[in-house]
Amino acid sequence: MIRLLFLVVILFVRGAGSDALLLGQGVGPADPQPQQQEEFVPIDELPAQDQLPAAPLLVAAYSFVALALFAYVVSVARRMATVQRELERLESDLKRSGRT
Amino acid sequence: MHMPKWFVPATVVCGLMFAVAPVLIAQAPYESTMGLVQKIFYVHLPSAWVFLLSAIVCGVASIRYLFGGNPRHDRTAWAAAELVVLFGAITLITGPLWARKAWGVWWLWDVRLTSSLMGWMVAVAYMLLRKYGGPGSEKLGAGLALFGMANVPFIYISVNYWRTIHPTTSVVPTLPTSFGLPLWFSAVTFLLMFVLLLRLRVGLEEQRARLDGLYLATDE
Repeated sequence: MIRLLFLVVILFVRGAGSDALLLGQGVGPADPQPQQQEEFVPIDELPAQDQLPAAPLLVAAYSFVALALFAYVVSVARRMATVQRELERLESDLKRSGRT
Repeated sequence: MHMPKWFVPATVVCGLMFAVAPVLIAQAPYESTMGLVQKIFYVHLPSAWVFLLSAIVCGVASIRYLFGGNPRHDRTAWAAAELVVLFGAITLITGPLWARKAWGVWWLWDVRLTSSLMGWMVAVAYMLLRKYGGPGSEKLGAGLALFGMANVPFIYISVNYWRTIHPTTSVVPTLPTSFGLPLWFSAVTFLLMFVLLLRLRVGLEEQRARLDGLYLATDE
């Protein structure tokens, strides 16, 4: 029983001490301080995604969107022009043969 | 070709919105972990939404054609299928460009990416069937479009039910205004673009139907 009480007191004192320490620093457990840097890491040892520049990927994405939409509009316009020409030719043929 | 009165003003508005959208996107803040590459989001997500919307329009028009037999619905389905291919391609190209930087890989066979690719391939299959399938392919195509539409809810909810590193659907409702404004502006621009392209493409099919009618008249 005495051992148990002793253990509880020790734990309480240690817990209160660490709380006091944290309060004194004004930093909670949710706000970790940045790690002190002990060495510089060469760029070729970083993960692959961190080495990549973002700008070319962004430019590629926006360029593709613009080109795809433009190409599609041009494609539809060309198809419409072809159908329109065919329609006009057929209509004139029908008029000439007097079947309209 | 006869186009509705709203078509030209809507085209002008859409062009202006496409000119303004990059300004809003450039002014949006950088995301804390992904930085500059996250700005692909403003074209990737709206194109993905329009990709899914096109698949729904294609499916609904196909159902109406299957049960009603009106060729007008078949023309709408065909036009929408082409837009599934277009906006699906934009989604499937811009996504990997973003993923390469954010995830470190171009592609992952996770459920969102794989089901999106399947949805796009169904639309490509529809297009090939309509182009080379010959007589009767319109009804077969309509059946295929139903599978394309059935895939849409699966694509949408997949990120919430399966383990994947693709962002979940809760990202958009929780966006701060600085991210949300350019996104919604871009989304409206893409939606307007979809409406205009759909109307233009349906117009082409109407002209083709008229041409077929004239060919039949010359044969008689």
